[in-house]
Amino acid sequence: MVVLTNNDGQVVALCGIAKRLGLKKFVPYFQAKDQLVAAGAIVRSSNYELYADLSQRMMDTCARFAPEMHIYSIDEAFLFYGGYKPPGQTWYEHARLIRRTVWDEVRLPTGVGVGPTPTLAKAASHAAKRINGFRGLAVIDGDTVRRHVLSNMLVTDVWGIGKRIGARLNDLGIIDALTLSEQDPRRMRKRFSILVENTVLELNGEVRMSWDEVRSPKKEIFSTRSFGNRITERAELKAALAAHAEIVGAKLRRQASVAGAMMIFASNSPHDKTGFQRKSTHISFTIPTSDTRALLAAISSAMDQLFRFGIPYYRCGVGLLDISPMHRQQFDLFHPTPDDRGLMACMDSINGRYGRNTMHLAAKGFDQKFSMRREFLSPQYTTRWRDIPIIRCE
Amino acid sequence: MTTPKTGGIKGFESPGAEYTQSSLDLDSLLIEHPSATYFGLAQGDSLMGVGIFNGDLLIVSRALKPKQGDIIVANLNGEFVCKIFNIAQRTLEVTAANTKPHRIAEDDVFEIEGVVIRSVRLHKPLKETFSVRPG
Repeated sequence: MVVLTNNDGQVVALCGIAKRLGLKKFVPYFQAKDQLVAAGAIVRSSNYELYADLSQRMMDTCARFAPEMHIYSIDEAFLFYGGYKPPGQTWYEHARLIRRTVWDEVRLPTGVGVGPTPTLAKAASHAAKRINGFRGLAVIDGDTVRRHVLSNMLVTDVWGIGKRIGARLNDLGIIDALTLSEQDPRRMRKRFSILVENTVLELNGEVRMSWDEVRSPKKEIFSTRSFGNRITERAELKAALAAHAEIVGAKLRRQASVAGAMMIFASNSPHDKTGFQRKSTHISFTIPTSDTRALLAAISSAMDQLFRFGIPYYRCGVGLLDISPMHRQQFDLFHPTPDDRGLMACMDSINGRYGRNTMHLAAKGFDQKFSMRREFLSPQYTTRWRDIPIIRCE
Repeated sequence: MTTPKTGGIKGFESPGAEYTQSSLDLDSLLIEHPSATYFGLAQGDSLMGVGIFNGDLLIVSRALKPKQGDIIVANLNGEFVCKIFNIAQRTLEVTAANTKPHRIAEDDVFEIEGVVIRSVRLHKPLKETFSVRPG
C-alpha cells in the first residue's frame, strides 16, 4: 500500500512490503504508476480528515494520563508528570497502560518512552520502536538502561541533532549517543551552540528544554497549550486560537514552507466531573498557504463548529499538516495563490526585531474552495456521516 | 452543561444568554467517551428482538469491556457485524428465529470493535444521505 500527497502528486508513505519492492518516497505518482500496477499495490490519496480525527482521538486518550500534555506532531505527544507519579504503578506499568488504552479505544499501535528529560524520553521512545528487546515500551529510569539505550543510538537519532551537526560530530569521532552524552557540555557549546550543550545535559538527566524553544518537526507544526484560567467566552477562545495560528504561521515561514491543511481543536479537561467535551475540525487549503491571514480566516470559519456555550475550555491548539517547501509548490492556473508573501515577510521582520506580537492581524472572511484532487480517497469513517461503516445485522 | 439556577437578582443578565445555556446537546447526553466512540449504520433485520432495525444508526463505544449478553460490533472474517455476544458459550447470537448462533471457531478472524451503547431509529429520512443505502 502506498499513500499519495495532496493532489495525488507524489508517493508520501509506503508500507513495509512496498518498501521491500524498492519503491521510494517522494517519487511523482505518474512515474511510479506502472510499477505500482504491476505489483498490485493499493494506492490511496492523503485523507487528512481521517488522520486528523484519529490523531485527536489518540491525543485525547493520552491527555487523561498526565497533568500536562504537549502535542509535538500529528502522531507524537509529550506527557509531563512534573512531581506527580501515577499511584500504585511502576513507570513501565503506566506506559503499558497508556499503550493498551490507545489500542483498545482508538486502534492505533503506539510506542511509549519514559525518561527524566524530554530528550531522554524521546530516546526511550526511539528505543521502544527501534532497539531490539523493547517492543513498544521503554523506560529510562537508571544509568544502566540509559547507557544501553544511548549506546545503541546514532547521534543523528538524538532529538535535536540534525544531519549537518551529526556529520560534524562524526568528524570528531562522536558516533553514538552515549559518546555524545560523555562530552564536556561547555566545550560542545563553544564548538557548536547552546542547543548542543543543552542536548548533552539533557542526555545526562538535566532538564534544559522549554517548549517555547523546541524546534518543530519539519512535517507538521503544532501549537497547543492549556489555559491557566478556564475560558468560557467565544471571543476569548477565538483569540487564543488566533495566537496559536500566529505562532505556527511564523514557524512555517521560518522554514520556508507552505501548509496544505490545518486542524483546530478545543476541549475541557478530561478530568472534569461534567464529562469530557472535545471539538476539532479540519480545513484543507486549495492552494497550500503560509499566510497567517488564511489561517485566521480558517479559525473564524471553524468557530461555529468548535465553540459550545457553557464548556469551561481547558486546552486548545492548532496544527499545520501536509507541509511542503515553498519553492516546490506547484501553482494552479485557475487558483493563483492568495498569499501576500511580502506582507508576511514584513510582519515577521517587525516581530523579529521588536518582539513577538508587536504586529498581528485581525481575522477576516473565509472563502476557501475545496477542489483538491483526491482520486483514491479512502472513506472518512469517523468524520463524514456519508462514510460511516455499514454494520451487518443479518 | 447547564448551570443550576439560583434565586435572587444578580445584576442585569442578558435574557438571551439563558437560552444558549440551556440548549440541549445530544452528544453530551448520549456519549460519555467521545474519543472512544464511533458510528455505524445497521443493515439487516436479525436484531429486531433487541430493537435494532434496518437503517438504524449505531453508536459504538470502545471504552467499555464487553459483558455477557452485550450487543457488540465485531470484525468477523473481514466484515463488520453486529451480534449479541455470549461470552460463556463463545457464540455470536441474533434474535431472528431462523438463525442459529455462530460459534466462534479457531480459524475465524474475530476482533471485537466495540459495544453498541445506543441505537437511533430514523423515522423520517435524514437530510444527509449515506453513501450506501441499507438493504
